[in-house]
Amino acid sequence: MAEEGSSLARKALRSSYISTVFSISLVLFLMGMLGMLLLNAKRISDYVKENLTITVMLKAEATDDDITSMTKNLEGNTFVRNVQYVDKDSAAKNLQAELGEDFVSFLGYNPLLPSLDVQLKAEYATEENIAELQKMLVQNSLVKETYYQQSLITSITKNIRNISLIILGFSALLFFIAGALINNTIRLALYSKRLLIKSMKLVGATRNFIRKPFLVKGILQGLYGAIIADLMLLILFYYAKKEVSELMFLEDLPSTGIVLASVIVLGIFISGFSTYFAVNKYLRQRTEDVY
Amino acid sequence: MFTRKKFNSFCRKPARSKKPVCLPYRKTGSGKSSLLKVLYGDIKITQGEGSVAGYNLVKLKNKDVPFLRRKLGIVFQDFQLLGDRTVKDNLMFVLHATGWEEKGKMNDRINDVLNKVGLSTKGFKMPHELSGGEQQRLAIARALLNDPELILADEPSGNLDPETSNEIMNLFFELSKTSCSVIMATHNYSLIERYPSRIVKIDLGKVTEAN
Repeated sequence: MAEEGSSLARKALRSSYISTVFSISLVLFLMGMLGMLLLNAKRISDYVKENLTITVMLKAEATDDDITSMTKNLEGNTFVRNVQYVDKDSAAKNLQAELGEDFVSFLGYNPLLPSLDVQLKAEYATEENIAELQKMLVQNSLVKETYYQQSLITSITKNIRNISLIILGFSALLFFIAGALINNTIRLALYSKRLLIKSMKLVGATRNFIRKPFLVKGILQGLYGAIIADLMLLILFYYAKKEVSELMFLEDLPSTGIVLASVIVLGIFISGFSTYFAVNKYLRQRTEDVY
Repeated sequence: MFTRKKFNSFCRKPARSKKPVCLPYRKTGSGKSSLLKVLYGDIKITQGEGSVAGYNLVKLKNKDVPFLRRKLGIVFQDFQLLGDRTVKDNLMFVLHATGWEEKGKMNDRINDVLNKVGLSTKGFKMPHELSGGEQQRLAIARALLNDPELILADEPSGNLDPETSNEIMNLFFELSKTSCSVIMATHNYSLIERYPSRIVKIDLGKVTEAN
């Protein structure tokens, strides 16, 4: 009977320990997912912005020297990431491939003009900057005209900003929920230990001495929970990459590393602090208030 | 509550005489447990003065409380054992908590106190596997670990049958003769009659000498 009682008690204790670890890991898993989205929202928008091309059509009379110096000049501009010269012939080839028709031999001559494809750095790819750049380019006598897809940049900037804000808001909310949830779980688990803590106090143990094993256990709980959360995240990333090959950002090791590491730090941090405060609460209590 | 002055004059005496003291009381709420709580630092004295085992109870700081308790042995009606570990580990915890370090000495000390209370063969058991009397003996063994100057017992036989109560009382009586002072609170008059000792009455919060 006594044997049975003790093994039951031990089972109950172990299952409460496991469920604490799992609730920590689930919350951290959600945090990690949102963190990954947040870090990569910027990467996606950067990717689109950096591939946005401003085409600068040059007049036919522009010489190679003119073009080289203009390219150099543009490359020195702080906004510009990359400048590529597209001469008449390659422009014709590109268009031919798009149209599927040999229009040069049909027309008898190549009507296209040479151009420069200018790509901007992501952080400068705003409408104002582009307008400024255009104004500067048009003043150059060699430039016939410039154009880019205006609607694209507007919609991307707007949407990405909105989505990032929403995700950021959710992350902040989830962070609070995570803290409250983990804190609550740990406090409940420690509530069952309050009589033990009280007895320890009565035999002359100092607060630090009582606190230490609880803290070690709390930090380990957070660590185990975080490791489980990281494993779940890795599995999720693996399958996401397999199913949706466009998610190339998952191959980006630094940001994945940042997310996985911060999940672990967060787990240890929240769990450690919650344990510390919960134990302190029972340590400060007068013995009769325990009941 | 008992008047502080009377209480103070009372609590200086037992350290001198090694006779056990009984604190009988008539009704619940007369202040018997509170008196013991004051002695082991769980309730602060707000006026008057008092000292236990060299600690001034008025100036007692929170961080000193554990060190005061190391000089006392405290035994409760509900034992207050650590239910999640064996008899030996219960005692081991106290030794660790109170700064013992050498493994050999610790084991010797544990065997020593277990012998004293007659539990030398039960070291491997869990507290809930022991009978009530055995649990109380374990609590007493724990109280003895650090050679206390004073043992405080709050109704130590309250949860025990009469025969076991007698055993526990004999143990306390023995201790009071050989090793340290004992202050015991009880409302069991027959016990008091059977074990004559200095008796202090607490009635309506007042402490009076009864014999």
